[in-house]
Amino acid sequence: MATRIPSLDDPRVLVSTPATIYDAIPPYAPRTEREAEFYGLRDGEMLVNMGPQHPSTHGVLRLVVKIDGERVVDLDPVLGYLHRGIEKLSENADYHHAICYTDPLEYVSSLFNELAPVMAFEQLLDLRVPRRAEYIRVLSCELNRIASHALFIGWMALDLGGITPILYSFIERDEIVEMLAALTGQRMLFNYMRIGGVNGDLNHEFLSRLGDWMGHALAQVEADTALLNQNEIFVRRTRGLGRMDRQTAIGFGMSGPNIRACGVPYDVRRAHPYSVYPELEFEIPTREEGDSYARYLLRIDEIKQSIHIIDQVLHRMPDGPVMAQLPRRITPRPGRAWAAVESPRGQYGCFAISDGTDQPYRFRIHDPSFVNLQAVVPLMPGNLLADTMAVMASLDPVMGGIDK
Amino acid sequence: MPLLGTLVLLFLVLMLGVGTGVIPGIVIWIGGVLLANIAIVRFVVAATAVLLFTIPTAFVIIFLELKVIAFMNLRIGPNRVGPWGTLASVVHGLKVLSKEDFTPTGADVTVFTLAPVVTFVGSVMAFMVLPFGPGLFGVDFNVGLLYFFGVGGLGVVGLLMAGWSSFNKYSLLGGLRSAAQMVSYEIPLTLSVVGVIMLAGTMSLNGIVQAQSGSFLDWFVVRQPLAFLVFFIAATAEANRTPFDLTEADSEIVAGFATEYSGMRFGFFFFAEYVNVFLLSGLAVVLFFGGWTAPVPWPWPVHVLLAPGELGLALLALVIVVPVVGSALFALPLWMLRSEWPFWRAWILGLGLFSALAVGALGIYLLINLDALLGIVWFFAKAYVFVFTFVWMRATLPRVRIDQLMGLAWKWLLPAALVNLFLTALAILVVHP
Repeated sequence: MATRIPSLDDPRVLVSTPATIYDAIPPYAPRTEREAEFYGLRDGEMLVNMGPQHPSTHGVLRLVVKIDGERVVDLDPVLGYLHRGIEKLSENADYHHAICYTDPLEYVSSLFNELAPVMAFEQLLDLRVPRRAEYIRVLSCELNRIASHALFIGWMALDLGGITPILYSFIERDEIVEMLAALTGQRMLFNYMRIGGVNGDLNHEFLSRLGDWMGHALAQVEADTALLNQNEIFVRRTRGLGRMDRQTAIGFGMSGPNIRACGVPYDVRRAHPYSVYPELEFEIPTREEGDSYARYLLRIDEIKQSIHIIDQVLHRMPDGPVMAQLPRRITPRPGRAWAAVESPRGQYGCFAISDGTDQPYRFRIHDPSFVNLQAVVPLMPGNLLADTMAVMASLDPVMGGIDK
Repeated sequence: MPLLGTLVLLFLVLMLGVGTGVIPGIVIWIGGVLLANIAIVRFVVAATAVLLFTIPTAFVIIFLELKVIAFMNLRIGPNRVGPWGTLASVVHGLKVLSKEDFTPTGADVTVFTLAPVVTFVGSVMAFMVLPFGPGLFGVDFNVGLLYFFGVGGLGVVGLLMAGWSSFNKYSLLGGLRSAAQMVSYEIPLTLSVVGVIMLAGTMSLNGIVQAQSGSFLDWFVVRQPLAFLVFFIAATAEANRTPFDLTEADSEIVAGFATEYSGMRFGFFFFAEYVNVFLLSGLAVVLFFGGWTAPVPWPWPVHVLLAPGELGLALLALVIVVPVVGSALFALPLWMLRSEWPFWRAWILGLGLFSALAVGALGIYLLINLDALLGIVWFFAKAYVFVFTFVWMRATLPRVRIDQLMGLAWKWLLPAALVNLFLTALAILVVHP
């Protein structure tokens, strides 16, 4: 640490490394025992900053990794590089506007970000949503889930060094995104859910695209993942890696595919049913291993289940309005509401308190990525440096949701 | 009139020089020196040719990689510059040349500057012993293979220098990884070719190719399949190609040893990588696939059928009559089909068609006869099959982990190479005691 280098401002002046916010070792004295332990380096140990600008940190997560050679000794995730204050912004907007603020939270699966607040606000208003709107919500959300999982498969392969699977999975994702663009008008931040329903009814282009895609969806999933599932290198790198046991996962409060890969069949759609999910038949796929490979396979199973759900929804789609009758300016009675949906990353919850005005008094988002990300700290030590990214990818965090 | 004056002066000096015998003397002296040191001249010419050859090779392979991976990814790939985007890699090279040459604060400047040179020179030097065709090689060393591996191992020194001097943790990790990888994979790589050396009885690459002349059944891959497998895997690791590209694993250590390099210094690393790909493809072809020999030798030597010297007067008839008759043969149907044409027009067209046919036939004749030309074609065809395989692997496979990499080298490849060595020795003892 005593290296003296020419200053960036004046090269004639030798300074010790100027402290920046990206320096691995912070410029202040350790404030907690954990900091003292983490930043006190033993012989042969080195701190490496992975992020916030790194090719594969899924956004702007910064992992300070303490390594001994290639082996990871300890790890410290640093968050907050993408904090936009969305909860506070939503508290200063009226109920309709809050939806467009929450939209870019988990930008990979935006429909779920809209659905949870919308459901919470509907609870505050004690509003009944038309059945056709509920079915359309389920249909679009399941499509979005498949798009998100397809992206996960590609990312996972990319973080392990395979460059082709991401382009194959983008075929699937692109078809779905085009479909949703036909329905909602946007490819990524849909802004489709409304308090009391959805923005627009199903249209011809959406249905014709969906019909085309449903014909080969399952075969497409098999074709896209064959390159990885039967790849010896991929299987050897992910099997047994980042093994999470059941108790720890429950203790952390993890949810979504990450906890189902540990053998806990917790799915909000089944545990706390919402919308029209009680009327639909689907399985909750679980796996016992709890490693990266199980998490990967589980998401493929979920894609298949989602296709099954979409099939049923299309057969049962009722007629009727897609929007409830509702005044433009809504003032719910004072009270509090909690609504949770099963997003591709787990339990995505929204807590809202109304004080009787047209703005939420308190607005809180419970993001599954944030909870799941805790697992990197116990999972990483002992692994090799190359595996940090494989474990990270298999947990599938999205920094937009974590930093809010 | 300064130009005219200069020219007149030059002419006068030239005349004076020729008249007094100074210039012929200088020419004869230089010629004599060159003739006396023909080996050195040959070496310099070969080295220059090889150095110039590496640049288009790297361009071709980079283009191939862009296009083939794009094809496998269901993309279009480069299609803007040149026909089918063929100039994309040249433009890449120009871009690299025009970029800022950046040295990070705190870097060890000398080592940092030398590192890309060492890597590139190591790759180019190994080219000197590679036989491209019969009689077409830089130097025919009697220890060519040893030289090849020795010089090829120089590249890793450059990578290690780059990793150490960049003042960057990712670079350091990349450099150390490349050192560990190279140390592990040099051993199975070298052991796998010992069987070939034993069969050929020589370490000269030219001699190894000649030992495989005949049909494709004489290629060493038939007698040494295990050695070829070990060699190919080790060569992939040696060239730092996927799935063994840990030194520049972009999802782990950004760009490895090359993280802090920019401009043409990065370009040298980039070039060296693709030159290495061709080099190891060429070596695989030379050692296991018969080098420049054809898979099946041409069974009818054409020069026996057509010996122009023995034709005598008939040769005169051949030269005078055949073009006229040939042109007429092509012109007549043309003239009959297009009766509105004047006769001379059909005649000229017929002559053109006949000439094209004659040149084509002559070309094929030369191709069959000229072993060197055919040898080059065969060598490049075989080598580019391997280049394609390297690119194909890059598009298909994820990256292995460093412990798996080491485990593969020490637990599988090294024993396999030793078993192969033992079996080869046993077979030689049994067959030729």
